[in-house]
Amino acid sequence: MQDIKIKKILPHRYPFIFIDKVEEVDLKNKKIICKKKFSISEYFFKGHFPQNPVAPGVLLIESMAQSAIILYASIYPEIAKLKPDYYLGKVSAKFLNPVKIGDVLKIEVKMIKSLKNAGIVEAECFVEDKKVCEGVLSFGVKVNSTSTT
Amino acid sequence: MGKRKEVGDIKKEIKKVVSEIVEVPESELKEDADFQDLGVDSMMALEIVATIEKKFKIVIPEEEIPKATNLKKIYELVERLKKKK
Repeated sequence: MQDIKIKKILPHRYPFIFIDKVEEVDLKNKKIICKKKFSISEYFFKGHFPQNPVAPGVLLIESMAQSAIILYASIYPEIAKLKPDYYLGKVSAKFLNPVKIGDVLKIEVKMIKSLKNAGIVEAECFVEDKKVCEGVLSFGVKVNSTSTT
Repeated sequence: MGKRKEVGDIKKEIKKVVSEIVEVPESELKEDADFQDLGVDSMMALEIVATIEKKFKIVIPEEEIPKATNLKKIYELVERLKKKK
């Protein structure tokens, strides 16, 4: 799955796309693996922090949430086609290690339970083999009446 | 006696789960209080379902979820699904 398909599913656009590629979608086990490289050109490194650039935790959550959307869209393609609104409901997350310039984040997300209008996922992020964060995210999905296929 | 106690324990555990997710103290959570009136949205409902499934090792079918509109109906549903196991 290449970037063009990510943009077909995600309503997000630059500078707020936090997935570079989808590496694997396992529909049987409802799992997805995505990757995101935090390169030196990321706008937030300048201020977070000038002397010690690290990726903000909130953006790691965003990476997990965007991966969850792509997983949801793979499970419910007929709903994803309607371009619904996805909204984050609840997040519990732990940050275990910093993500620095040049790190490639591997985001693994598993759907715990999903309905047509909501989902709960467990997510873990790694840099190489080191776990940098983990979380549980719940989200809602709302199809607008004006949506078209 | 043992079975009765088991049912009582199940109810207690379910009430605790719902109370934590809905953020209503257990002492104020009535069995017949409609979840919609308690502000339960689809994400909270899913969280309740996922927690109960994990705790009791059952699978709640999607079509059953909209019918579980209060605590009493969840008790009945869980008991029914546990018997099926």
